[in-house]
Amino acid sequence: MLNDAAVEIIIRVEGDIVLVRKKIREAAGFAGFGGTDITRIVTAASELARNIFKYAGKGTVRCTRVENGSRQGLTIVFKDQGPGISDVTRAMQAGYTTSNGLGMGLPGSRRLMDEMHIESAPGEGTTVVVSKWLK
Amino acid sequence: MGADSIAVNRIRNILLVTVPPDPEDETITVLQEKVLKAMSRHDAKGVILDISVVETLDSFFARTISETSQMVELMGGRTIVSGMQANVAITATQLGLTLDNIRTALDVDIALNLLENMD
Repeated sequence: MLNDAAVEIIIRVEGDIVLVRKKIREAAGFAGFGGTDITRIVTAASELARNIFKYAGKGTVRCTRVENGSRQGLTIVFKDQGPGISDVTRAMQAGYTTSNGLGMGLPGSRRLMDEMHIESAPGEGTTVVVSKWLK
Repeated sequence: MGADSIAVNRIRNILLVTVPPDPEDETITVLQEKVLKAMSRHDAKGVILDISVVETLDSFFARTISETSQMVELMGGRTIVSGMQANVAITATQLGLTLDNIRTALDVDIALNLLENMD
């Protein structure tokens, strides 16, 4: 783990989603990602940060450069203490939503990133961890 | 990027809106209201939403664009989204955004031609 370039953003208001996009764009560029991958990472971060604001009201986004064997990349952790997800499998299905959204935030972000892990239980908040590796 | 930065310009009977690079959700919502008010005020036949400087198109943004297009259509106008960057098009498709019923054009010039020739 390379923690030298950790970035943390606290989400409290809607405008913080823009801050997440800006900081993650910088971090992805700094990590060596190309234009299309930067757009993928920033778009996924925007979706997941909006989920925090929409469902939990507040939370944190933490981005670190990571090294796993010969692979280098970026890991972003989205953490909140909100209501949690009762059925993670269902939440990963396209079109499923408990708000009035399109229901593509989680499955779409999964496609844009290389890895995604979700830890959540009702009443215990949600942690979403996504990673993208340099090709 | 604040809501004040959104300008709706009228060219003949077409409205041209240049969307800022990284708008807040609030800004996108204001954009929608401005477009619809300008539609009725100017008796416009169509709207061009130029997103050529937009770097991130997420599901909220896409949904608001789709909604705006539908609202403009209810008012008797057409909407064309112009100038989507290649990175944004790749990402939007992989995210799962279909932008159904949205007409697109490579740039504002092509969009203007499309609208002028539409009935």
